Amino acid sequence: MSEIVVGGKYKILRDRYYSETDEWILVKDNIAIIGITDYAQKKLRDIVGVELPEVGREVKSGDSIAVVESVKAAADIYSPLSGKVIEVNQKLLDSPELINRDPYGEGWIFKLEIRDKNEMEKLLSPEKYSELIKEKEGLK
Amino acid sequence: MFSTPLLDIESKLNADIGEFAGWQMPMKYSSYQEEHMAVRTSAAFFDLSHMGRLRVKGNIDQFNYLIAKDIRNTPVNNMVGPTAFLNDKGGFVDDVMSYKVSDNEFLIVTNAINREKVIHWIESNSSLEVEDLTFKYAMIAIQGRNVWNFIEKIELKPLEFRLNTKFLGEEVFLLSRSGWTGEDGVEVWGVPETISKIIQRLVSVGVRPAGLICRDSIRQEMGFVLYGEDIDENTTPVEARYWVFSLDKQYVGREKIIEQLKNGVEKIRVGLKLKKGERSIPRKDNKIKLLDSEIGYVTSSIFSPYLNRVIGMGYINSKHAIFGYSVNIEIRNKQVEAKLQDFPFI
Repeated sequence: MSEIVVGGKYKILRDRYYSETDEWILVKDNIAIIGITDYAQKKLRDIVGVELPEVGREVKSGDSIAVVESVKAAADIYSPLSGKVIEVNQKLLDSPELINRDPYGEGWIFKLEIRDKNEMEKLLSPEKYSELIKEKEGLK
Repeated sequence: MFSTPLLDIESKLNADIGEFAGWQMPMKYSSYQEEHMAVRTSAAFFDLSHMGRLRVKGNIDQFNYLIAKDIRNTPVNNMVGPTAFLNDKGGFVDDVMSYKVSDNEFLIVTNAINREKVIHWIESNSSLEVEDLTFKYAMIAIQGRNVWNFIEKIELKPLEFRLNTKFLGEEVFLLSRSGWTGEDGVEVWGVPETISKIIQRLVSVGVRPAGLICRDSIRQEMGFVLYGEDIDENTTPVEARYWVFSLDKQYVGREKIIEQLKNGVEKIRVGLKLKKGERSIPRKDNKIKLLDSEIGYVTSSIFSPYLNRVIGMGYINSKHAIFGYSVNIEIRNKQVEAKLQDFPFI
């Protein structure tokens, strides 16, 4: 199975890492592609706006880097790793709903050149992240 | 926590259920934007079973003294509304729709959050008899620009209603015609099993289910208020520019209304229109500024899919209430430009 489904509705893909603040991290060589999880987009409901970081910005892990505007609230997106922003998903400026429609694909938010691969040790595996959601949702 | 009695059928329609005013209700089915456009271009139905529904019986003069609009000359089988119960300071106890069943019987629809408060308020200010029908009947609204292409044309004029009648072949308790969304349509009250059957019929002919987020975006486009966000016990109808009162009779709160109409008000509700392409959403209590002066605060805001821009409303110092003015809204320490404008937005 390439995915885990928690509570019958929250999809978690097995090919990537996760953070405690509901970001996903897909690592290829020294580059991390980052977005928000299916759980996060479902909790936010309709996403109507995104503030993206500047390309070239240096970030530390845990820095607030982007903002997702939904009907419910504005949610900060945190960088799960330290590094340099090398690309942002410009499509989201006109079509922020891509995050709702395809959170793990077309709804990606930014790409990061990873500074320190050792930081990846504190990221969550798909299994660990599914446990975290179960805890948050009282499904344990 | 209460739950809509239509939860089963709504779950089958993939409703995203969330909490509103102490009720588990459908927030959306697909995206609120698609549902919103369905109302503005074809037809959609909403579950409104969370709203309080009361039967009030007794002396019409007592009822007329509690409610801000004059209901004495309203024909039987007609709605009066929106109107309101006001406190003695002219503030909103609740804004309501009322239905004249006879000279000594009315039905009232309250905001979900105010149901118990309104019951208590009527009982403590009159000898009227109040019966709570909220849990007996489900209520849906079917509304949209082309609603009559989907359902049979009913024999009701706008604001008319019928009790114990038929709709789509089913026996319902109440059928009314009002256009709360700014579009034509009907409201139906019935036992949950009957309303579930009606929903199945509606879905089969292409009427789209819509949730409460869409209801919020629709009402904001019309400039309608939401209790607890845009109006409350400390806001008057004059400040809210919400014309729910009469001047031709006595009622609770009238003195304050008269005083404000004579002397003017300090704050006034206005519409806020952000630039196209601006996707930051003002949140409740965000400051409204003109140059460097703080002149007011935001009460509601949402992205309007129909206008493809963010709209909202709030209260500003009445001296600054000049439509067309550009102001700044402070959203998370960022100044975002908005224009003051009148309602409705569409």
